[in-house]
Amino acid sequence: MKKSPTKDSTKWFGARLPRKEDTRLVTGKGKYIADFVLPGMLHAVFVRSEVAHAHIRGIDTSEAEAMPGVVAVYTGESLKSQMKSMTQKVLIPNLPAQYPEYWALATGKVKYHGEPVALVVARDKYVAVDAAEAVAVDYEELPVITDAEVALKPGATVIHDDATSNEIFAMTFTGGDTIEAQNENDAEVDKIFREADVVVSERFKVHRTGVTPLEPRGALCDWSETDGLTAWITTQRPHIDRLALVDILDIPPEKVRVVTPRDMGGAFGIKAPFYRENVIIAHAARDLGRPVRWIESRYECQMNVGQERDQVNYMEIAASKDGELLAVRNRGIANVGVGLVGVYWGFVMPFLGAIELPNAYTWRKGDVKLHCAVTNKTSNTPSRAFGNYPTRFALERAIDMAARKIGMEPSEVRRKNLIPELPYTSVTNDFYDSGDFIKVWDNLMAQIDLAEFRKEQAAARKEGRYLGIGFACGVELSGVASELMVPMENQPGYGSATVRVEPRGALLIFCGDAPSGQGHETTTAQAAASVLGIDPGDVVTTTGDTGTTPFGSGSIGARYGAVGVSAVAKACEQIKAKMVRVLAHDMEIKAETKDFEFKNGEIVYLLDPSKRKAFKDVAERIIMSPINLPEGEDGGLETTAFFESDVPMICFNADCCILEVRPETSEWKIKRWVTSEDVGNVINPMVVDGQMHGAIVHGLSNAIFEEYVYDEQGQQLSADFENYKIATAADVPDFELTYASTPCPHTPLGTRGIGEGRPASVSGALTNALCDALEPFGVEITELPIRPDRLWKKVQEAKAG
Amino acid sequence: MKTITVTVNGAVYEETVSERMLLVDFLREQLALTGTHVGCTYEGVCGACTICLDGEAVKSCLMLAVQADGHSITTVEGLAGDKLTPLQQAFIENHGLQCGFCTSGILMNMSEFLEKNPNPSDDDIRHGLIGNLCRCTGYVHIVKAVRAAAAVGR
Repeated sequence: MKKSPTKDSTKWFGARLPRKEDTRLVTGKGKYIADFVLPGMLHAVFVRSEVAHAHIRGIDTSEAEAMPGVVAVYTGESLKSQMKSMTQKVLIPNLPAQYPEYWALATGKVKYHGEPVALVVARDKYVAVDAAEAVAVDYEELPVITDAEVALKPGATVIHDDATSNEIFAMTFTGGDTIEAQNENDAEVDKIFREADVVVSERFKVHRTGVTPLEPRGALCDWSETDGLTAWITTQRPHIDRLALVDILDIPPEKVRVVTPRDMGGAFGIKAPFYRENVIIAHAARDLGRPVRWIESRYECQMNVGQERDQVNYMEIAASKDGELLAVRNRGIANVGVGLVGVYWGFVMPFLGAIELPNAYTWRKGDVKLHCAVTNKTSNTPSRAFGNYPTRFALERAIDMAARKIGMEPSEVRRKNLIPELPYTSVTNDFYDSGDFIKVWDNLMAQIDLAEFRKEQAAARKEGRYLGIGFACGVELSGVASELMVPMENQPGYGSATVRVEPRGALLIFCGDAPSGQGHETTTAQAAASVLGIDPGDVVTTTGDTGTTPFGSGSIGARYGAVGVSAVAKACEQIKAKMVRVLAHDMEIKAETKDFEFKNGEIVYLLDPSKRKAFKDVAERIIMSPINLPEGEDGGLETTAFFESDVPMICFNADCCILEVRPETSEWKIKRWVTSEDVGNVINPMVVDGQMHGAIVHGLSNAIFEEYVYDEQGQQLSADFENYKIATAADVPDFELTYASTPCPHTPLGTRGIGEGRPASVSGALTNALCDALEPFGVEITELPIRPDRLWKKVQEAKAG
Repeated sequence: MKTITVTVNGAVYEETVSERMLLVDFLREQLALTGTHVGCTYEGVCGACTICLDGEAVKSCLMLAVQADGHSITTVEGLAGDKLTPLQQAFIENHGLQCGFCTSGILMNMSEFLEKNPNPSDDDIRHGLIGNLCRCTGYVHIVKAVRAAAAVGR
């Protein structure tokens, strides 16, 4: 067994341990979906809609079918008798919305540019691509809607035939459950606004952007008449995909196994939904009796997934002249695209964004409403900072605008209104369990000298140089508790793990969630090793295989550090208790678990340290020699634990950006980016730093560079990395990360789940710094993306009055 | 179809390929060297397919296999001998990778970069990385790893 660098097992938790994943990955030995090959494997390529909205008059597949090497061509109508629609209960949230019925391939109409219309299966990848081009689709084009506010107008063309309007979902998040209570609340909010010293009222717009993991999606499906379906899918939630395949393809549940490849090239949310492509690939494998693989192209990926945000927020905040934030009112209008995506339907992201809108501040009252519109763009899919990005931008900008009106430092307004003590329930009924926002904030401010900066800024302005400082913060989810997951996604929020001690004392751990670069193999080993006092090198973790792992809802919402690791720790504690029971029995002493220390591969009786035994010997004794056991005890050493916190949990962060804007061009340079984080107890600081770096760059890249562009005909113009630019190494700065953490009291190891919501506060800090720099011109940024050319125009407009 | 002779990671291959086959597909599918990845699907933007051709870092999705006839290639599988290179080691020690999908290409690009720039500044490294996209790391630990490898090299 490969041993880890230090022998002291009390140091594993919190150590900068090199990752177990890395040796295979730096030598090219990782195994991603495109690296899986089965004998006789066929290659699948989709034919996708070239138009955004049209009736399908006909599909001519004859030329493609006649091409040598083509095995099958599937179209939507022919599949209806072979499977159920995608609109199955397992994929539908428990939220009142209009859920359109749709199928694995388009039937009757196409509703966005890039929608799958047909599937070609061939013996060779190159032949499949040629044959897909030979499929001729006859379209009768229909009016196209790409704008959410247009889609919601009375009389607008309704995109889904079985819907009554394009408003797929709408909700009021404040005031209670009844209309009367909500109206009463709204009236109180109106009163606060009427009487407030300061009101900010603005239309904030965030463009369509999201995330693009370097590895697109893919699936490899294999069918056996006796064993059923084995599907390797790039999915964050294999257990949900399994249920969906069972229900849609009507396969007996015991005959479907879904495996997420151990190595997945990033996901960030886009691999969380259940997609129609998986269904048709599985169907093709069953129909043809041969393995079928689909590897998505970048072009398909950018056309179909990774698009989110795209929201207008009509936001108002009321404040007092001494800087108290009194009330927030928001009308969110989200462009959720076509909405045809299992689990999320385009609108679940803005739904959560509305719940989390109040952020870390003590509003007296709120009036938060959301309208979600279907349009002829691809469906919104989850993207790191799930739903939060547009509302955080709006709120953090609005607070700076209010501070300017009041004449206070924006950082002072924030600190004054931070929730002073947790737990706390927000005006949208969002529960914040624990932490210390003030401590995090004060730690941030301690990293910078604001008074000194203001002097420097004033001096620079005299020289015609424009320095700016901007702040923002974010309360983000640490896991998603069942009380939110059940209504929101019709899934449980608990974490799960099976821990198996094998007879030589190594640990095999099985987790149903499917990571995509977060280092679960390493952090799992560190957590388990620290509980059981063994070497992390002796721990092997299997993830994302429904054939071997306990049910888990998937790697989403910063679940792992919150509930996943907690389930591992809980299972290890149960193992520990059993080992102590047997060991105490063998030693003929009366003792409890706390009387023994598990350390450096040994189990030591604390009251008499001469009584000790190797961990592996106790394991072997219980597994291989299950005789003379304590009464009622069975042999074997394996357990499965499920962990659900007693309350929903959060993490928290604050950002400060200091930059300089060149007045001639409005280009800027970030001089410092300082953060303060509450991440709870840290298992591996390197991994946590890495999560933060990635998330902050993601937030910056979304705010500055990335933008999915559609023309007025709904043509997607940015479906590649040439036209959808993401930040390169030369575009972004280094970061000064600092930590002011509070251990989470609701997890066994004090850990929090982190990194998922983290990009949300970034655009606020950036744009607040830009507006601070250009304060002499009175520039207020209200739309993203923000780029030098757009900023320059704003400066010219401001100068013109 | 055409028969080509290519040296890959020190071994000589004589293989028959179709003229249209991309070099990256030849490496991955014909030689089963799947450490070289496809991220942007043949646009030449993401850099995940970067290999070393006659000592030069190139994107293998922008070449046909037939163009490699008579040339010598190193892929990520061929970087390490008995032990990892200082650059590979530095990526592990500095957490220079998360999902690992872009990593092969970055290692190949930066191996060549460090040969030509043994004493790079952070700014040099960041500009040297422009041809490689990474979505996970925010680049900070990648820059740190390359810096650390350069120090070992000196």
